[in-house]
Amino acid sequence: MTEEYISLAHGNGGRLTRELIDKVFVQYGQHPLLDTVNDAATMSLPNQTICMTTDSFTVQPLEFPGGNVGSLAVHGTVNDLSVSGATPLYLSTSFIIEEGVSMACLIRVVKAMAEAAHKANVSIVTGDTKVVPKGQGGGIYINTAGIGLKRTHTQFDIKRLSAGDHIVVSGPIGDHGVAVLLARDEFGLDSQLISDCASVYPFVEAIDTIDGVKFLRDPTRGGIAMAMHEMAQATNLSIRLNEAAIPLSGQVESVCNMLGFDPYYLACEGRVVAVVAPEVSEEVVRRWQVCEHGQNAATIGEVLPRQEQYHCPVSLVTHIGGERLLDELEDDPLPRIC
Amino acid sequence: MRRQSVETLIAGLDAMHPERPFRVMNVCGGHERSITQAGLRSLLDKHIELIPGPGCPVCICPEEDIAQAIHLALNEQVILLSFGDMLRVPVFSHTEGPRSLLAARSQGADVRPVASPLDAVAIARANVTQQVVFFAAGFETTMAPVAAMVAEGVPDNLTVLLSGRLTWPAVAMLLSNDEQAFDALIAPGHVATIMGSDEWAFVAEQHGLPTAIAGFHGESVLAALQCLLQQRSDNRAQLVNCYPEVVKPQGNTQAQQLLREVMVVSAANWRGIGVVEDSGFTLRPEFATVNARVRFSELTDQSSFTPLAPPAGARCADVVLGRLYPDQCPLFGNECTPRHPIGPCMVSDEGACRIWMSSGMRSVDESKPTPEGV
Ligand code: SF4
Repeated sequence: MTEEYISLAHGNGGRLTRELIDKVFVQYGQHPLLDTVNDAATMSLPNQTICMTTDSFTVQPLEFPGGNVGSLAVHGTVNDLSVSGATPLYLSTSFIIEEGVSMACLIRVVKAMAEAAHKANVSIVTGDTKVVPKGQGGGIYINTAGIGLKRTHTQFDIKRLSAGDHIVVSGPIGDHGVAVLLARDEFGLDSQLISDCASVYPFVEAIDTIDGVKFLRDPTRGGIAMAMHEMAQATNLSIRLNEAAIPLSGQVESVCNMLGFDPYYLACEGRVVAVVAPEVSEEVVRRWQVCEHGQNAATIGEVLPRQEQYHCPVSLVTHIGGERLLDELEDDPLPRIC
Repeated sequence: MRRQSVETLIAGLDAMHPERPFRVMNVCGGHERSITQAGLRSLLDKHIELIPGPGCPVCICPEEDIAQAIHLALNEQVILLSFGDMLRVPVFSHTEGPRSLLAARSQGADVRPVASPLDAVAIARANVTQQVVFFAAGFETTMAPVAAMVAEGVPDNLTVLLSGRLTWPAVAMLLSNDEQAFDALIAPGHVATIMGSDEWAFVAEQHGLPTAIAGFHGESVLAALQCLLQQRSDNRAQLVNCYPEVVKPQGNTQAQQLLREVMVVSAANWRGIGVVEDSGFTLRPEFATVNARVRFSELTDQSSFTPLAPPAGARCADVVLGRLYPDQCPLFGNECTPRHPIGPCMVSDEGACRIWMSSGMRSVDESKPTPEGV
C-alpha cells in the first residue's frame, strides 16, 4: 500500500478496501476471531445472562496524551459493560473515516484499539469501514458494540440506594476532559497531564463480591456531577459531595482555575464511582487503592434523604466548609471529548 | 493547613459580629463565581451581605451594539467573531429578524465563537476573501489584548466592533446616585492587575467606604472581607490591596500605554444602567480602517434602534446594579433559566443569575437582603 492518506476509494468496496482491511485492520487489529471474510462473526456464549451495549466515539483531536479515539472506543464500551456487572467478552467495531486521514494515524488508532482490547481481555470479532468525503466527518469516528457475561453474584441495582450510603471514586477526576482540552491547543497551555482512559473492569472485579456495593457508574460526559444527578433523580434521594475529599490532580485544578471550569463536570474515561453501604466504604477504598491507577481512591460523599428545600438534589461541601449546589450541566464546556 | 487558615478567618469574622447589615459589593464576575462556588454566603453571619454588582461585561453590553453585530453577521460577506458568552444574549429591542447572534447563526449567518484576539487574527488570515468582524465586548482586561492586537496591525480583512467599558466609572456612578448603595467594596482583582489598585482609592477617599482588592480563591475573598469588616469596626476607610502578589499600585503600565495609544475614553451606554460618563473605550480615529463602525457605517447604523421594554417581570437592571439578588427576580429559575434565558445575566458565565443558578444554594430559607423597590 503506497497511498499515505485515506481516499474515497478506500471505502468503495473494491481493491483498496480489501487492502485497507487486510493491511491495517487485520495486521494491526490482530485477533484470531476477527473474521474479515464472512459478513458475521461466530462466537460461543456460555448459557447465561448476557449484557450488550453500544457507543460511538467522535473525540477531537483524534489523538491525545494517554490515548486516541481507538483506545477510547474500546474502553468506553468495556466500561459500560463492566459497571453493569458484566465481564466484557466481545466487541464489534465500525469505522467512519474521512477522506484525507493519514494512513499512519489510522494505523496508530487501530493499534491502540488492539492493545486496549488485549489489555482488557476482550476480542474484537467483527468490523466495518466506510469512507466519507473530506469535510463530511471529523477524521475518524468509531462505533463499538460489546457483549459481556453477567456476573452472577453482582447485585448492582440503583433501587438498592438508600440514605446513608457512601460514594466512593476510584481516582482523580477530570483528567480525560482536561487532557483532551489541552491537546486541542486552543489555550496555549502546556501540560504533562495524560488522560485516564482505561478499562475499569479491574476496579469492578476487585469489589463486586462485597455485598454492600450497590451501584456503579463510570462518570464520562458530564463528569461526577452528572453521574450524581442521574442517581439522585432515579432514586428521589439527594447526594452531598465533599470537595476536600475529591481527588484532583494539581494540573486539573490549575487549568480549571484558569479557565473557570468546574472539575466536577469534566469527563473521566477510566474512573468508576460506587455507591456502597457505609460499613463497607473503607473496604472498597482499601481494595481500590491497591489496583493500578487506584492509589487515590477515596470516599467523596454520601446519599441523603431528598433535600426538598433545595432546587437541586446534588450539593457540594466546599473546601472552606460552605455548601453549594452542583446543578445539571447546561452547555458542555468541552464539546466532543468522547 | 488551608482548612486551618479558613477556620481562623471565619472565626475572625464571627468575632467581629456585625450587629447591623454590612453590605459588601463585588464588581467582577470572577469574584461572584468564587463566592458562590465556595459557598461563602452559607458560612457568614447573616448581617454580612455579599452583593454582586455590575461585574459582567456581557450583561451590560448595550443592545444596540449586539444589534449591530447581528446586522453585520447577517451580511453574506461577513464572518462575525464573538466571545462565546455573547452568542446567546437576547436583544429585547430588535424589532425584526434574529434576536441573538446564535439565532442569526441558525439563519445561516457565519458567527463563530473565539477565545482571544489571536483567534480573530488567525481566522482573518484563513479567510482572506471574507470580511471578518471581531465583536469585542469586555472590560479593561479584555480591552488590553484587543489594543495590543490593533497596535500590532491586523490583516486588511479584519475589523473590530468595539464595545469596551471601564469598570470604575460604573461604581462611581452608583455611589454618586446613592451613597448608601453599599457599605464596602471588593474591588476587581483582574481589572486592577491591568489598571493598578490606585484607581480604586476614590471609593475610600471620596465616599468613605472600606475597599479591598481581592484575589479569586474563597480564602482570598474571606481575607478581603475580614479586612473590610476590621476597617468598619475601627471606623476607618481605606484602600487595601489584599492581592499584592499580582496587583501593583500602578498596574501594568505597558498595557495601559497600549490602551491609550489605540483607544479613547468617552461616555458610553450600559445595558440596564444608561449612559455613564468616561466609561467607554472607542478606537482612535487613526485606527479608523480597523473600526467596523467606520468600514460598515451603513450596516452598523442603529440610529433608528428603539429599545423595547424588557419582558414583564424581568429585573435584570436591578440585579446588575446590586439592588436585588438574582433569586429575587420573579422570573429566576421559572421563566428564565440557562436554557431559556430572558436576560443577559442568565447567559454569561460571569452573570450573577447564571452563577446563582448553577452553583448557588437556592433554598427556601436563604437569607435575603431587604429588597429595595420590590
Ligand atoms: S432571572 Fe433572568 S430576567 Fe431575572 S434578572 Fe436574571 S436574567 Fe434578568
